[in-house]
Amino acid sequence: MINPTYLAQRTRSSANWADAKRRVLHSYRDWLRAAPEIQQMYSLNLPISTIRTKIRQEFERHRYVSQLNTVDVLIFNSHQEFQETLNYWKQLTHVLKYFRTEEEPKARLPSNFINGFLEGRN
Amino acid sequence: MSVIQRSIRSRLLSTSARPTARLTAIPKHRYYANEPPPKASSEDAPAAKPGDSAMIRQEGAAEGHPRHQPDYNVAIDYRTSNFSPIPKRVMDGSEPGDSVAAAVLSGAPMDLQARTVRIYRPAKTATQSGDWHTHHWVMDWDPLPKGHRWENPLMGWQSSADFMQGYSLNFRSKEDAISFANKQGYEYFVQEPNERKFIPKAYANNFVHSPKKLKIIRTK
Repeated sequence: MINPTYLAQRTRSSANWADAKRRVLHSYRDWLRAAPEIQQMYSLNLPISTIRTKIRQEFERHRYVSQLNTVDVLIFNSHQEFQETLNYWKQLTHVLKYFRTEEEPKARLPSNFINGFLEGRN
Repeated sequence: MSVIQRSIRSRLLSTSARPTARLTAIPKHRYYANEPPPKASSEDAPAAKPGDSAMIRQEGAAEGHPRHQPDYNVAIDYRTSNFSPIPKRVMDGSEPGDSVAAAVLSGAPMDLQARTVRIYRPAKTATQSGDWHTHHWVMDWDPLPKGHRWENPLMGWQSSADFMQGYSLNFRSKEDAISFANKQGYEYFVQEPNERKFIPKAYANNFVHSPKKLKIIRTK
């Protein structure tokens, strides 16, 4: 008898779009609830609102996916990241991968061609 | 915090309402005093005219322009650097069609979707040994304009910011390579191979009766 690790979720396919929506919203709520714990665990210098904004950003990035299979894989990825983050299997570098814009405001794409040219990007 | 709000606002826009690059950077045509203004119109374009085929959709320059311009508003990655090219479009899973949106799922850096990929068949070596290396199709990444190679100041070795230099993928057929590039969201172009022309010859054809010219060139 193998006991699953803490916060593991069984991978399954969504039956239809309503099922997928329910799973996505449950996952999103879990992340929002876990934001203070993430800040305390990894000693982040960011306020909890920033973490919640980032969570919202990551979910919004995939809002218009049209295929159910892709949504299933994305839900799995969300569960995977959730488990790895809250079990302290990640390190600070891995968490800060998501916060590039906040940590380094200078790292961004140029706003138009001329600015990019003046920066030296071909 | 204005940096975060700006990036959220751009993320909450739907794909159709995403801002496109403005056309103000294009210089206007300079009219000199004696020269009459150019009279060419879109009817003179060498592309296929609408009357040729029902399958060809004619797209004006204004329609295609925003699609082919670099998109400066995409969200950056943890791997974006000063050498990253600007993508034209980044896959987000909402594309129509049956193919898997692998660009969204693979977690690959966004730079890869900005770079052009060449799909080609390697040329036959100029020896008489045979052509077994030319049956597959290869996918190769175009070198970066600025970061592909420079001299390391410490030892003079060659440094590079290009993590795809020296990588090539092999495929059995052109369609496989194209569907892979579509799946991963790469910009690609296909370079058709130069096929050798071979005329089958028979020595006996030199002695076949011909009523007109006797000297016929059979090797062309």
